[in-house]
Amino acid sequence: MDDLLADFIEETREMLEAIGSEIVAWEANPADRARLDAIFRFVHTVKGNCGFFDFPRLEKLSHAAEDALADVRKGRREADSQLVTAVLAIVDRISDMITAIEAGQELAEGGDEALIAALEAGAETAPMVGQSPAPARPADSVTTSTAAPSSAPRSIRLPVELLDRVMSGVSDMVLARNDLAHRLKEAGNQPTVDGPFERLSSILTNVRDAITRMRMQRIETLYTAIPRLVRDLSADLGKQVMVDLEGGEVELDREMIEMMRDPLTHIIRNAIDHGFEPPAERLKNGKREIGLLSIAARQAGNKISIVISDDGRGLDEERIAAKAVSTDIITKAQRSKMSREEILDLIFAAGFSTAEEVSSVSGRGVGMDVVRDNLEKVGGEIQVSSQPGEGTRFYLQIPLTLSIIAGLTLKAGGQRFVLPQSYVEEIVRLRGDKGVIEDMGDTSLVTFREQRVHMISLADVLGVKAEVPRENANLLMLRLASGDLYALAVDQVQSSSDIVVKPLPPAIMSCGIYCGTTLLDDGQPILLLDVPNIAQEYGLMSETRALSAQVLIDGKPTVERPLDRAMLFSKLDGHKRLVRLGLVKRIETISAAAIDRSGRECRAVVDGEILPVIGIDEGASLDGSVRLLRLTDGSSEVLHAVGSVEDAVDLANELVAVDEPDPLIEAVTLIEGESIALIDSHKLFAIHGALPRQAASKTCQLPDSDWAKTILAPLVEAAGYTPAFDADADIVITLDAVESLPTAKPVIALRSAPDDQVEPSQRNSSIYRYDRERLISALRDASKGEAA
Amino acid sequence: MSELLVLAVIAGKRCAFCASDVGSVIEAGVIAPVPRAPRHVVGITALRSQAMTVIDCRTVIAEDPSIYPCDSHLAVIEVAGHSYALQVDKIDDIATAQSGIAPVPGGSGKHWNRVCKGMLETDRGPALLIDVEQVVAGIEQKSVKAA
Repeated sequence: MDDLLADFIEETREMLEAIGSEIVAWEANPADRARLDAIFRFVHTVKGNCGFFDFPRLEKLSHAAEDALADVRKGRREADSQLVTAVLAIVDRISDMITAIEAGQELAEGGDEALIAALEAGAETAPMVGQSPAPARPADSVTTSTAAPSSAPRSIRLPVELLDRVMSGVSDMVLARNDLAHRLKEAGNQPTVDGPFERLSSILTNVRDAITRMRMQRIETLYTAIPRLVRDLSADLGKQVMVDLEGGEVELDREMIEMMRDPLTHIIRNAIDHGFEPPAERLKNGKREIGLLSIAARQAGNKISIVISDDGRGLDEERIAAKAVSTDIITKAQRSKMSREEILDLIFAAGFSTAEEVSSVSGRGVGMDVVRDNLEKVGGEIQVSSQPGEGTRFYLQIPLTLSIIAGLTLKAGGQRFVLPQSYVEEIVRLRGDKGVIEDMGDTSLVTFREQRVHMISLADVLGVKAEVPRENANLLMLRLASGDLYALAVDQVQSSSDIVVKPLPPAIMSCGIYCGTTLLDDGQPILLLDVPNIAQEYGLMSETRALSAQVLIDGKPTVERPLDRAMLFSKLDGHKRLVRLGLVKRIETISAAAIDRSGRECRAVVDGEILPVIGIDEGASLDGSVRLLRLTDGSSEVLHAVGSVEDAVDLANELVAVDEPDPLIEAVTLIEGESIALIDSHKLFAIHGALPRQAASKTCQLPDSDWAKTILAPLVEAAGYTPAFDADADIVITLDAVESLPTAKPVIALRSAPDDQVEPSQRNSSIYRYDRERLISALRDASKGEAA
Repeated sequence: MSELLVLAVIAGKRCAFCASDVGSVIEAGVIAPVPRAPRHVVGITALRSQAMTVIDCRTVIAEDPSIYPCDSHLAVIEVAGHSYALQVDKIDDIATAQSGIAPVPGGSGKHWNRVCKGMLETDRGPALLIDVEQVVAGIEQKSVKAA
């Protein structure tokens, strides 16, 4: 209802604005039929609408005006100036009422009847003028009281083309200013000119900001259609969805608003069609019957982020993967190596659509790939995250405006070009290093952050000759919105600045590698490179993306073997071993006492987690502290006891499989002339891996004494317990207790007297408080009992 | 009839532009080449802070434009919202048309027919009237083929 009311107010406002000029014209010429009709339509519409909303006063006023105007239209009455004045008074009154309704206030009573009476044929004009404050021009008195608090901003309507013209005029002024600045600099210091020029410059900057804002529209304009869309769709699909719209006041270039409309609609359609469960299923899963779709817009710097989240069933990783495999987007082998994020990302792949049946709502051939492409075209990006059963979130990021972007100037083949900075992930300067660039056939690969990335030379793209040898080039690591990464080799990287992008004529656009032009500060024109198009031309876009992380070597897709690095260490027995560096989380040092060697497998507590320990030979004596490599496969963890950690090394030489009795050895390789065994990562976790168990959750109640706090507590802590001094602990330690506690919890009884000073029966039932070994083993036994 | 014309020499032939088509005649500044552009596009240049595309008219007409030397003046025209600067052999003078447009008896040749509206008389003798939109359109067609 509130929305409808807002619509009503908005509509009436617009009509009031539109007939504003009609009223004036009608006043000048009451016989003007066209004006009369326009005003008649207005009061007629208002009458119809307010009947629906139950505004009896508004209805009565508009009805009276309608009647009077209808008489005029039918020729039963002359439109004399008295009638005109009376109708105008009513129109003004309607305007005031609308303002009052919007502000949620009641318009002051009274005066309506007088206004209506004034419409009567032959009514005296005198009383209207005579009744001073109330009816004649109620606007005067009323607006001051009602309009003031709402203080509706004064606004005007302008044709969009005019705005665009002003915008481009200001852009040109900026360019002319830059040109002038350059010339002034060349002419040297001229205090009489420089001061005013500075001033002109700063004014122009202000004006440009203001103009840019003039083109801004609230994102609300996008939001208005959403509730209806959601209502219709959810009704069609038998779902119940509530919309929560946030950040409607965020402003965006109107072109961007138009660009956003389709992607937003598409994501909403998908969410309602695939995301939300039917109400019954939601109830079964312990969710509210009504799903919540929330859309929030925020401005961060010169970007707008829009988050669209639903609390539906979330994206189905398995189904997406299966679909991607069946549509040949990825192979089964690739699928097995992909993380959940990578799989979810597949929904943006070309030719992907999860709907099993094509429904009328979504799945009409346009998929998320189109959404991503469209966003990418305007320099935006989209990401998805989803928790099974909890919902899905789409993150959209778009630039505030299209026409001014941050550009990076670079040089290739002796000529300058500019490209949008937003693509540049990193700039890498090659310093003549050999072996950084590998030629695979006609393709050049460069190693960047342990990844082989396709490298294109901008000079080759342009068909010119590079001035800098390839080994010394500057590489721009360009990240496309699709997530693809490629390297663009250029001769020189110059500077970054805000550029005003101008369109190119068709003849140059047809080259396919430029998307605009701009003028540099020195007045020279420069071309803006079309980063996605260049990537496309070289086949580096989405279709090949699944392969981009795994480069083809020797014709076989393999994981990057030459890039493997390993940690070289000595075991406790002095033997050297290698373990892949990716597994090493960190190096821990713990006290030997904290390693539990009582069971078949050793365990230790690190950071409150119980982890398996390997690398300790049975019977080996440990004292002092032990260094451990904390290895992880992402979820499970294993600690490997080491004598010393040597270094991180490259696995540059061949890995030779060996027939070793030790199942943990994968192969042997040469490291600096020494043959060293590499630990088999897979078997390591298959045999020993364990999900970290929270040990810290166990508490141990200690006797309330200084001895317990200062001497016993650290010991208990080292054994993996959190010391506590209240009764709510998992196990209890008592000291010199006379009688046993009435508790089902494991109790460790300590006594102050040494073993040789007590009765043999006491010797077994309690432990001498400095008998560390017995105390620790008692704690372990207690913890095992607890676990069982 | 008394229309003003800008006389120019293109590929060694006397031609005329309607003065109303030509926004201005500029001295060529630095022209930045556009790698991979169609060969008619000489590059881009800036006039009073406005970028424009420089087009060599002679490539539209002659097979080998390099045999015709050219001076540094460019005729600025605007087609479909884009500014172009036309490179010719020489910009000559302003003249008044002394006749209406008449077809060239027997045509003016394959390339010329495409870009000229006909001939007209001036006080300097007859000149071919160049249709600037055709010059640009012709270039566009060719560039599409090239792409």
